[in-house]
Amino acid sequence: MENIQSTAEEHTIRDLLPQKFGKWGKRFTVFLVLVCLLGAYAYYRQLRYGLVVTAMRDYASWGIYISNFVFFVAISLVGSLITAVFRLLNVGWSKPLTRIAEVIAVAAIIFAALIIIVDMGRPERFYHLFLYGRVQSPIIWDVIVITTYFFISLLLLYYPLLPDLKILLRFKERSSPGLQKFYRFIGSFWKGTREQVRLSDRAISILCVTIVPVAFSIHTVTSWLFATTYRPGWDSTNFGAYFIAGAFLVGAGSVTIAMYVFRKAYHLEKYITDDHFDKMGKIVVLLALVYLYFNLNEFLTPVFKMKKSEAGYLRDLLTGDFSGVFWFAILTGMILPIIVLLFRKGRRPLPVFIVGIMVVVGAWLKRYLIVTPTLLNPFLPMRNVPESYHRYFPSWEEWAIAFGSLAGCLLVITLLVRIFPIIPIQETLTEQYEAVEK
Amino acid sequence: MKPLKNSCIAVLVFVVSLPGYHAFCQPAAKGRLTVALSYVAVNDKLPYLVARAKTKINGRFRPVGGVTLNLYLTDDSSGHLIGEVVTNDKGEASVLIPPALRQEWDRSMKHTFLIRFRGNGDFGPADGDLTVARAKIRVDTLAGRKISATVLEWKDSGWAPVKGVDVAIAIRRLDSWLNVNQTATFTTDSTGSAQADFKRDSIPGDEKGNIVLVAKVDDNDNYGSLLQEMTVPWGSKFTGENAFAQRTLFATRNKAPVWLLITAYTIVICVWGVLGFLAVNLVKIRNSAV
Repeated sequence: MENIQSTAEEHTIRDLLPQKFGKWGKRFTVFLVLVCLLGAYAYYRQLRYGLVVTAMRDYASWGIYISNFVFFVAISLVGSLITAVFRLLNVGWSKPLTRIAEVIAVAAIIFAALIIIVDMGRPERFYHLFLYGRVQSPIIWDVIVITTYFFISLLLLYYPLLPDLKILLRFKERSSPGLQKFYRFIGSFWKGTREQVRLSDRAISILCVTIVPVAFSIHTVTSWLFATTYRPGWDSTNFGAYFIAGAFLVGAGSVTIAMYVFRKAYHLEKYITDDHFDKMGKIVVLLALVYLYFNLNEFLTPVFKMKKSEAGYLRDLLTGDFSGVFWFAILTGMILPIIVLLFRKGRRPLPVFIVGIMVVVGAWLKRYLIVTPTLLNPFLPMRNVPESYHRYFPSWEEWAIAFGSLAGCLLVITLLVRIFPIIPIQETLTEQYEAVEK
Repeated sequence: MKPLKNSCIAVLVFVVSLPGYHAFCQPAAKGRLTVALSYVAVNDKLPYLVARAKTKINGRFRPVGGVTLNLYLTDDSSGHLIGEVVTNDKGEASVLIPPALRQEWDRSMKHTFLIRFRGNGDFGPADGDLTVARAKIRVDTLAGRKISATVLEWKDSGWAPVKGVDVAIAIRRLDSWLNVNQTATFTTDSTGSAQADFKRDSIPGDEKGNIVLVAKVDDNDNYGSLLQEMTVPWGSKFTGENAFAQRTLFATRNKAPVWLLITAYTIVICVWGVLGFLAVNLVKIRNSAV
């Protein structure tokens, strides 16, 4: 019996150990590196010639960099949803998804911080934020909360990884000497003693409790960057909850994409099952409904009143220049996912994956719509300004940097998946033992 | 091999067709730039010129920035160059009349200013001119809180009053003007003066109650823009409250409200305290392995 168990354990471990990139993995990585390099070149041009290479001007002074920032912050929230909330609620089925969520959270929060620096006209003065920042400013709250969230996410990735590092060190033949050295550096002290397990479990519980309010803060504070500014569309008391609802939705959408890709690439059908997709599909429906409700709140009452000062902004959004993007985002980001995922057939892996992509694309466009139309419709009319100030369409440098940052985020996820097991090995083994004992 | 061959031929045809496409391209017609000048003299100081450049797009004039304009006094010889200016985003540029042209300035009672645009890739050449007579305004106060503004023109015999010029008499408020009574502009009489009753008794001035009266001739065909100011103690005394010295949400970083400092730092210390504890916990895990 023990022999059978040992063989099963060995089999599970070999299934879940990080695998070398295949042909498509290598191509994908090279593609991401190339996009990143293009973004780096565009950023070099921005540093060389200044922010004038962007399409941002006096009115549209925030562009797709800030949209990207809000998008990254939103995606990073997934770490707290899947890992912390589900762990605290004792949702057992989510265990294979926790590492995916943690990896996405860490990668996204890194690039949220980086893209803010990219948006700065004088990035070499970045440290001034820490030295001379005003505690009264929501920008400083954001700086503090992003830094805090980054470290919490990193710890939440690291602590549950410790038992897996012991396994990785045991299977030397599956990793290069360099990786082995790295594993030894970060986890050779883990022996799996009772005391170590107790300390680790306590730390993870504390982290799960801590990360929830910090995660809520990070997105609430990000929403306050807008809501504390008196402008059409941003002057809303609904913004904190509206942003958090949207963040949970895009986070869940990104996890469904990652689930499908990793399951397919690493043949993890046994561990990430159709049932996981079914359950994640239901969660996405719930979150999409909540977000749709907040959208209704956000737009219906202003449209009903149609205050003169906000009319230009609302018309631009609903029937004007931005209406195509707006309705596309609402349709693909919320309504279609709800319709598709309400049906059992819609919650199969492939439809869930496609819906995940729709949710993420819709979410990115939604962030663009939060930033730009408002800036182009100020309370005081634009007068005596050049024609180019009246509209905003990102320059190629902005597109390259934005896509470079998205590619960078995917690259970090890809590399982390190459280095660490995407499904927690020790937790899976424990679950299997418990199932056998039962 | 056949698909490869076809692809090569297709690429070759495309590459060969590129110069042909370029050869068919015609240079685009250049736009028409309109340039204009204004003459401004403020408080008897050195007068300056404001140059403007605009063009018509879809039936509406739009300012044109980044164009280089040359301004001259009397004629466009190099010795009479007032300056070379580049318009800003509003299509405007200004330049003081340099002291080097003083002799030329003193020689005549009327002056003609020339503006020249030599043309660039977007616009063809354009020019314009402006002729103004040397003039000034005098502001004075009369009994019963009346204001008198006199417009004078330089003639052979000296400064002579000018009749029939519209003068705005106002109070300077920040960057704008407030009428002294219901009437915005007054016309000078045969003595060259226009008089206005001051009807803004309760208007706040500075700490001593000083306000600034302004008499202005705005873009007159003969004299350009002339402006003269005079400070009078006709306002009420006003001492502004500087809220930046207090602890407020909009104050400097050293003046943050105490409640905010306590709340923010308490949260930060608590959360980072937890993080510190977790870091120590890692050390404990490391040590417990021994």
